[in-house]
Order: sequence, then structure tokens, then C-alpha cells
Amino acid sequence: MSFFSLSFAAPWALLALAGAPLLYYLLRVTPPPPQRVAFPPLRLILDLKKPDATPARTPLWLLILRMTLAALVVLAMAGPVLTPRGAPATKGGPLLLLVDDGWPAASDWTLRLQAAEARLETASRDGRPAAVLAFSDPPAEGVAPEDAEAAVNRLRALKPKAFLPARAPALAAIENFLKSHPEAQVVWVTDGLDEADGAAFAARFAALAPDAEILRDPRPVVAIAGADNNASALDVHLVRSASGGVASGHVRAYDAKGASLGEAAFDFGQNPTGMALTAKAAFDLPVQLRNEIARLEIAGVRSAGSVHLLDAGSRRRRVGLVGGAAREQPLLSPLHYLRDALSPFADLREAKPGVVDPIGALLDEGVDVLILADVNAAAPALRARLDSFLASGGTILRFAGPRLAAASDDDLFPTRLRRGGRTLGGAMSWEKPKPLAPFDEASPFFGLIPPAEATVSRQVLAEPEEGLPARTWARLADGTPLVTADKRGPGTLILFHVSADANWSSLPLSGLFVDMLKRIVDRAGLVAKAGPSGAETLAFLPPLKSLDGFGALGDPPPSAKSLPAKGVSAPDPDHPAGFYGPAAGPRALNAFNSDMKLAPLDFSGLKLRTAEIAGPRPVDVRPPLLIAAFLLALADSLAMIWLGGRWRRQVEPRHTAAKDAGAKQTGTAVAALALLLLAAAWPPPARAETHSKRDIEAALNTSLAYVVTGDPRVDRISREGLASLSKTLGQRTSFTPGEPQGVDPAHDELAFYPLIYWPVAPDRPQPGPEAARRIEAYMKQGGLVLFDTRDAAMQFEGGPSTPAQSWLRTFLKDVDLPPLEPAPGDHVIYRTFYILEDFAGRSENGPTLIEALPPESAKEARPARAGDGVSPIIIASNDLAAGWAADQFGEPLYPLSPDGARQHEMALRGGVNIVMYTLTGNYKADQVHVHELLERIGR
Amino acid sequence: MAPNPRNAFAFLPSEAARPDREKRIRALDLARRLPALALSARQAAASAQTGPHGRRRAGLGENFWQFRPFIPGEAAQNVDWRRSARDDRLYVREREWEAAQVLWVWADLSGSMNYYSPLATQSKLDRALILTLALADSAVRAGERAGWLGLTRLSSARNVVDSLAVALIAESRRNSEDFDDLPQAAPLRPREKAALIGDFLVDPADFAACLQRLASQGARGHAVMIYDPAEEAFPFSGQTEFYDEAGDLLRAGRAEDYASIYRARLAAHREALSAAARAQGWTFALHSTARPASEALLNLRLALTVDGAR
Repeated sequence: MSFFSLSFAAPWALLALAGAPLLYYLLRVTPPPPQRVAFPPLRLILDLKKPDATPARTPLWLLILRMTLAALVVLAMAGPVLTPRGAPATKGGPLLLLVDDGWPAASDWTLRLQAAEARLETASRDGRPAAVLAFSDPPAEGVAPEDAEAAVNRLRALKPKAFLPARAPALAAIENFLKSHPEAQVVWVTDGLDEADGAAFAARFAALAPDAEILRDPRPVVAIAGADNNASALDVHLVRSASGGVASGHVRAYDAKGASLGEAAFDFGQNPTGMALTAKAAFDLPVQLRNEIARLEIAGVRSAGSVHLLDAGSRRRRVGLVGGAAREQPLLSPLHYLRDALSPFADLREAKPGVVDPIGALLDEGVDVLILADVNAAAPALRARLDSFLASGGTILRFAGPRLAAASDDDLFPTRLRRGGRTLGGAMSWEKPKPLAPFDEASPFFGLIPPAEATVSRQVLAEPEEGLPARTWARLADGTPLVTADKRGPGTLILFHVSADANWSSLPLSGLFVDMLKRIVDRAGLVAKAGPSGAETLAFLPPLKSLDGFGALGDPPPSAKSLPAKGVSAPDPDHPAGFYGPAAGPRALNAFNSDMKLAPLDFSGLKLRTAEIAGPRPVDVRPPLLIAAFLLALADSLAMIWLGGRWRRQVEPRHTAAKDAGAKQTGTAVAALALLLLAAAWPPPARAETHSKRDIEAALNTSLAYVVTGDPRVDRISREGLASLSKTLGQRTSFTPGEPQGVDPAHDELAFYPLIYWPVAPDRPQPGPEAARRIEAYMKQGGLVLFDTRDAAMQFEGGPSTPAQSWLRTFLKDVDLPPLEPAPGDHVIYRTFYILEDFAGRSENGPTLIEALPPESAKEARPARAGDGVSPIIIASNDLAAGWAADQFGEPLYPLSPDGARQHEMALRGGVNIVMYTLTGNYKADQVHVHELLERIGR
Repeated sequence: MAPNPRNAFAFLPSEAARPDREKRIRALDLARRLPALALSARQAAASAQTGPHGRRRAGLGENFWQFRPFIPGEAAQNVDWRRSARDDRLYVREREWEAAQVLWVWADLSGSMNYYSPLATQSKLDRALILTLALADSAVRAGERAGWLGLTRLSSARNVVDSLAVALIAESRRNSEDFDDLPQAAPLRPREKAALIGDFLVDPADFAACLQRLASQGARGHAVMIYDPAEEAFPFSGQTEFYDEAGDLLRAGRAEDYASIYRARLAAHREALSAAARAQGWTFALHSTARPASEALLNLRLALTVDGAR
């Protein structure tokens, strides 16, 4: 089978190919449907029945297409598998699959699984049982062969672990398996790393299973060995197991919440040989940001080893500040300068005011750097605390000052200070202040440039003694030590020979001071948190977050145990890599650190067959076969359509018209289809509000409106009257309305019109509730409806209501109206432009109703009265429009009673007043106070 | 026999056959572009029909034509005594011969005419109707009398097109759109004219018999065979199923195999029709719907005015 390299999962399905001749026959006699053509002179050739032309045959190419399609389907049903040539000759026994599942295998885990699954599938096809053994969890009772399908499931359940499993414990299980199944085929899917006992295991393994196969990935494993938070940058050290593969890349930094903080490049090929196994990536970030970094990852590599967790060990330091004298003025206090200089990059702690033992309180808080500005540290109890602080790795930074200079029994200094008569004062003065000398190379301040303006006028002097130059970090231009330091155990004691305020020197005013403090704090070690007893508070750190083998941080697995505070430096099955301890200050346990080695396992001495995991594997041919069959079916459908004459052009049409028609037909169909698809794919565009052209016109140019009653005569009079009124308004006022518009209150948008004239036509049907509702809304939003009953002649006091009144009453029944009253003579509507007595129209004696005004108070005698707003409704009865209407020469169009030309003029004036009232409201009512106001001002 | 909706070669619905307003307007438009059609008058002397159309010769009529000397032996009542009293001779008053010719028109309105290929600009039926109506209108305007053969009486009214259309619609309602392939073959009177327009996809023997009966008393006429360009070119290939209005089916595996045979048979058919027409002294012409209608009308007019000079 391996020779032909093509095998079938279900060979019996190939029997279906025997049906091919039948298919051939069927296809041959079932031609595609012909095109149908109408042809009137058919009678001429109806008798022609050519024997060879009667049953049209399926075209040969279509036949071949369909036969191929059928053959493809049958082949696909048979489940063909293409096995590579170099596939191993399998023995008859069960398959034992050994899987390295430490984090080095994670970066190409999928490939490994595929390679292993391919082996299992081969076993499954051959009907052999199989067993899977992962080194991270070797079963104590040994492995037993099981169904290959179950083995595949077991294999798929495996995940890489965030530690390096030891291989030796699995040897016993392998040995037992091979003893009971000597014919077994053994495959070791290895990560290729010599993890502590790798070489020994490989030798034993080769002895146990001399014909085992080793699957490995030749690409090297890359890991982060560690990170140093240096003074200027965070240096990340990377290692790889072997040269080759991808030599450069990026390391990404994330904070505790997973936000990306930066990216730094690394390159293994930096040195000339290009074979380096280590590389460095530097994060040149501000120290505040560097302190935020909680996780480093090699971009594009998914394994726990490519992730480096950072804990408080690389975070910003806590700095305790203690001043000798509590001074109130900020600029005179040394602590002020220290606070300002340190706060950007250090976590400042100060004792609360009034605490008895401020230094002890700060040490209890667990500071890393203690700054004593002009403090006498001679008290024995205090001295003991400070010594133990130094012993636990703390840094003490002292500043000189009057108190320190006066303290005779204080000797917590890096170097001996000069005592005695001359130094008793602790100060010496120069005629001229001295600047600083450049820092020498051994000093931690090397690289900083001392500014010329930073000068020292007073200082405490160091006793010249042996080793003083080595302990001197900074000196003055004449060589006098300015900053001295001494290692005291793990801790450091530093003394600035000047005070931290500007009294003794201008150093605290310079930027150099900040840089110097920064360097000191950066290099300061961390202090293990000391409890009251002085011992480690927690002997065991519970797991907080754990890495999985792929380097993703998640909840710890149930198997994770608490980490002993001391003793465990490398992850193991019980202690996977991750964070341990309290959430406030967790400790990081990394999957890989610089103490571990990342060396490739040497298989060369072993006589084992090795293969690469990315090598050729059996290929299932079914999907491509089915896809090809589907494409052929598609082609067949197209061919059917084509043969059916749908798309065929029988002739080149001679007439362009006909051609155009044909092309148009096809084009239309195609365009319609494309449009349909587009419409389906495209979200429907937001439907724009549709406004008629008239609405837009009315919105842009204010115009008067009248309600179209449906009575052509009434509507004509309305239009003529409003046109005349509009013309008059344009001539006499600053308001130039547009063409009067006829509106239908039930359907048209009314909001554009300030005034709607509604002549009541009692013989027309009621416009319906919708119109009433809209009219009410229109009134509420500030519009004015001028109803005109046009029946002044029919009305008389106390008489029955006229038809128009009844009509209007019915219509307004459901409309929310204000109380109405006959417009009083002093109503502002009679004063808005002209001073009028009434509103004349065709007649002039009819009443005009308007919103009732608030009752007149006797106190204010105003020439005009108005409510707060504009009455939403006016009911006139004088047929105003007929009074307004005029021909082009200004002559009234309709006979007016009782008085022709003058009444026309008065009607127009009334119209102007109404429009002005609509537009200006009670403005004129306010204007009439002008005299009163002027009088008051004059007084 | 539902036509293939995607196929351009199809019969039109029977409603399309109506002589609707548009067709009448087109017919009138076509007719009015040409001068009125005065039919040839070679044999007009014995025509029984009188009409207002002066023939520039003496004959029956109302208008004075000339005086001629009395020929002895004539009936004495012919003498125009008023003229003869002027001198010693006897005169006879002759009037101008005013006779109207008769034109029978006919168009094939059967289903096979209702066909319209993508190569044509118009269906055969539309073209035939328009030609027929235009011809009738031309004749009536010239003072002749026209009628639809077998359907209407002769008319010299100016609205002959409308009256013919009304008659056609009434007829189509009566026979439910089922028209004959050939005109009802009642013999025409001598010296009447006829114009037959159709596709004549009938047995040539039937055609000949029809013409023979029409012309049995000496009437002359003109037959125009209208064809669709597709009927002449046979532009089909591949597997094709042909059908016609009668429901006949022909399934051709390779339609192109039929082309040459079909063309030969069509030529033979046309020749047979032409021979049948010539045998009766009629003329026979072909007209494609791809050509302008005015061309056919001009040819028809020519044939009718020179009176079978072909």
C-alpha cells in the first residue's frame, strides 16, 4: 500500500463505478432541453424527418463532464488517503506515543498534535490499538493500549504545561509497556531540549526501544531568561536553544491590566559570528512606565518560556523621608526639595506628624530607601533598627545639616567625619563657592554632567583615610568628597555632605540633584518585608495567577500548591509558573530563568530514527475531490442554461435597434440581478425625510396660508385676498411674504406658516379628527388660525347660530381652545400697525372673537392690552379675504358693503394688523409703556 | 404552446392583431405621404361604376366635354338641339367620362402573420394591415371606391380607414380572431382591382384556385407576400424545437442542417405562388418586414397604376 501511496477507507464504494456504463447510457439519451423557436413557415419543412437528426445526443464534452463528476463523487465516497512515500513501515503491534508537553513544545503545539494525530490515524486505519503518554503526568499504574480513537481524544486533551517536566519518571511505564507489547511501535514527539535529565533519559530510551521514531522540530526554542530594571532602561535577556531559525524579533511589555506599554527589538545575530545564543532587548522607557511593567512577551511566540513575569522586585522603590527639624516654611525645609525631586519616580512615605518614632514607623511600613535629612541617628534603639534595615538590604541616604554636624556620638556614616575643634562646627567656608568635579567612571553618577551653577558653600568634611576615594561617589572641583557611600552587608549607606536644602549649597536647586537621587533609588535594593518579628511574614505563598504552557495568564489550576517563600526557584508540576502570594505584592515565578539551561538534546549518538514534525503526512483527498465535483456540477448547470439557448446569440442582428433591444434585455436582466445582490448585501440607506418642494419653499420664505375648503369660489377668494394682503404687506411693512399657499390641514405640514386663514364653508364636509388634531398641535406650537365665518350679515344678537357657526363649533368641539371673547377695543391687535376700530371685510359690522385677555386691573391704565402670548385663534365673520382681494390696480374685486374703496383700504389695514400681531405678539403692548418709562427716568 | 419567454422568436398575442388607433394613424400617415392613387383606366370605358373622377375623355359623366358632329344612324335624342340650331349641322354634346375604379383590398390576418423576429422592425400582420389601410385610403382620396374583400362593401367615404377598421374589429369578435389564410373566393366583377397582402404560407394549389376564382370574370390584381427576415435567413443552429401557430412541432438536432433545404423549398414555394398569379394575369411581389413600408406601398401603387404591366 505504501508503494502506491493511495489507500481507500471504504473501498467497497468503488463498486459504484461499475454503474458508470448505465450512467453513460442514460446521459447519452437524455439530451439537454432544446431552445424553442417560433417559426411560421414550419409547414414547408415539416415533412423533413432526418433519421440521423431526430434524437439529439448529449454533446461529448458534456458527457465527459458528467461522467467525471460521477467518478469524482464515487471516489470521494471511497475515502481516499494519499500516504507519503517515506511513511514508516509499521509493525503490527500497538502504537505508543510519547509526548513532551513542557512549555518548549507550546510554540508549535498544533504541528506536534497534527504529526502525532497522523501517526494515530495510521494506527486507526490499520486497526491497531494505541497509547498516549505525556511526560508531565506519567501514570503511576503504567499505560495500556486502547482504541486509537480514544487515544486521539486523549492526545487532543493534552495541553503544554508551564514547567519543564522531568522525563525519567516515565521510563518505568515505557519499559512495562514494551515488555507486554514487544511489537509496539514507539514514537517520541520531543521538544528536543535537554531538560536536566534529557541525555540520560535518551540513552535509556534508546536501549529500551531501539527502533523508536523521534519527531522533533528543528527550530530553536527562544525564551526570556530575565529582566534587569537598570538605571536607564529595562534590559531583557533572551536565550535560544540553538542558532538558526528566526534571529530577531520584538519583546512586548504589558502592565498588570494587560495594556501594552512598549516594544523593544532583539537580535540574536548582533555579534559578528551571528551564532549567539543570547540577546538583549532594552526598554528605554521612563522609570514610572518601567515600574508598571508586569509581563514581558516575545511577540509571535506562544510559550510560557517566552513570557517573563515581573513582580515587585523590579518595581519602583518605596522611599521613606525623615527630617530632623519640623520647619513650617516649605522653601526652607530640606524635605521639600527631596519630596519634589523624588515624587516622579519613587513611592514616597513620610511619617505622620506627631508620631513618636517616625523612623521606626517608616521601617515598619517596609520602605526600601530611607532618607534621613539632618537627623541624629545616635540613639541606640534607633541605631539597631537602622542596622537591621541595612542588613536586610535597605538603603539609607543621609544628608548633612546643622543637627548632624552637632551630633558627636553619631557614627552611622560611610566614612569618618572630621571631629574636633576645627570640625566641631561641621562647616567651613570659602571665599568662593566650589562647583562639582565631573564624576569618575566608578561612580554610579557617571554620565551625569554637573552644571556649573551648582556650587557648595558649606559641607561636612570626611576624615582622609584609606579607601575613601573608593567610597567617594562625587567630589568637588578641589577633590573634597561630596557624596560618600559604603556597602553595609546587602544594604548601602550614603551620605551627602551637604544639606538637602539650599542653605549649604545650590545643589538641591539643580536638575543634577534629581538625577543623582534617581540613580540612587534605582540602584537601591529591595527590602524583604519585615514583620514585627523581623522574620518572613509568609512561609507559603498561595498561587494567585498561573501561566499555561502557551504563556497565557489565568486562574491557577487546581493542582497548583502554595509556594514556599524560600527554596523554590523553578516551576514544577505542583508549582506552575505564575504569580504567587497576596494580590498587593505578588511574587513572580517564571517558567524559565537564567539559572536554567536551554540546551538542545543530542540525538546524534543514539541510533534512533528522527523525523521532523512538519514532514509529509497522509493527506485526505476527499475534500478536494468533493470541491472539484461541486465545481463540475456548477459548470454543468451553466452548460444546461447555455444549451437551453437562454444565453445564446443565434445571429448577429442586422438592425441596431434589434441588437440594442436584445442587448438591453440581457443587460437589464444582468443589471437587475446585480442590483438585487447589491440590495441584499447593502444595508438599506437611511430614508431621508421627504419634503415636498412646496414645503421647502414655504420654509425658506415665510408666506401666508389658507385652508383649501374644496369650494372653488371660496378658495379663489382666499387666494386673491391673501395675495392682495401679501402685496400690501410687502409695500407697507418690512415683512415681504411669499406666494399665499393653500394647505390641507389633514395632510400638509403646517409648521411653516405663521398664519392660516380658514374661511368656513358650511356646505363642505367636516375635515375629520386628524385635521382637528393637527390644527390643535399647530395652535399649541405658536401658530394662529384665523377662522372666518363670512356671515356677518346673518348674525344678530341672541339669534340662532348660523350654519357656519354650527360647522365651526362642530369642528372645534375636540380642539383644546382658550376662552374667547369679542376683541375689546383696547386689544393690542387693534394697535399693532394701524390704530383700528374693527376688522372690516366684505362687511364691517361682524364681531371678531379672540382669546380672552386676563381681567384688566384697575391700576394700570394701558392704552393697549395683551396677554403673554399671541392668541392662537381669531374667529372673524366679515369675510376678510373678499375685503382684501384686489385686482392688479388695487381696485377691490368684490362689492363691499357699505363703503367701497375706503372699506377695502380698512380691510387691508386690518389684515396688516392681524399679520403683525401674529409676527410680533404683544410687542406693541409693551411699547406703549415708553412714555411712562421716559417719565420715570426723567425723575 | 406557450412561447419561450427568454426567446425572441415568438408569436405575438392575438390582441396585437387589432387595427387599433395607432395602426390607423400610421396607415394614414403612410398613405398621405404619397399622392392619391388613381387606378389605371385602360379598361375603364365599360365600367359600370360612375364617379366624380374625370378621365379626360368623353364618356358618362355630368361635365361638358365637347361637341362632335352627329353621326347618322345615331339615336336622334343625342342631338343637342341648342347647339345645332346655330348652324346647319347637327351636333352631339359629349360629356366627360367620370368613372370610379374599384379596388378590393385584403390582408391575411391569420395567426402565422402575427409573428415578429428580432430581425424585423414590425410584425408581418402590422405591416400588412398598415399597407392595406394605406392603400384603401390612397384610392379613396383619388376618388376611387375601395372595400375589404369579402368583408365590407365598396366605399368612397373619406373615413374609409376607420370604417374598415371597425369592420375588421367586428369581424374579429365574430370569428374570435380566427381569420382565413386566403380571401373568400367570390368572383370579382370585370375590371375591378384587387390587392392581396399576406404571407401566403399555404398550399400553392389553394392559392392558385383562389386567384382563379377571383379573376374568373377578368378582374386583375396584385399579391404581395410579406415575410419576416428570419423566415428567409433561417438563422438557427444547434438543438432547436420549432413550432408554428397551428401547433406543429419539429425537433431538430442540428438546426443548421435544415437551412439549405428550407431555403430551397421557400424559393420553390414563392415560385409556385408567382406562377399561379401570373397565370391569372396578376402580379406577385415580395416584401420583407425589415424593409420600410413605403417601399411596398410604392411598388403596389406602381403595379396598380400600370395595371399588370409586369
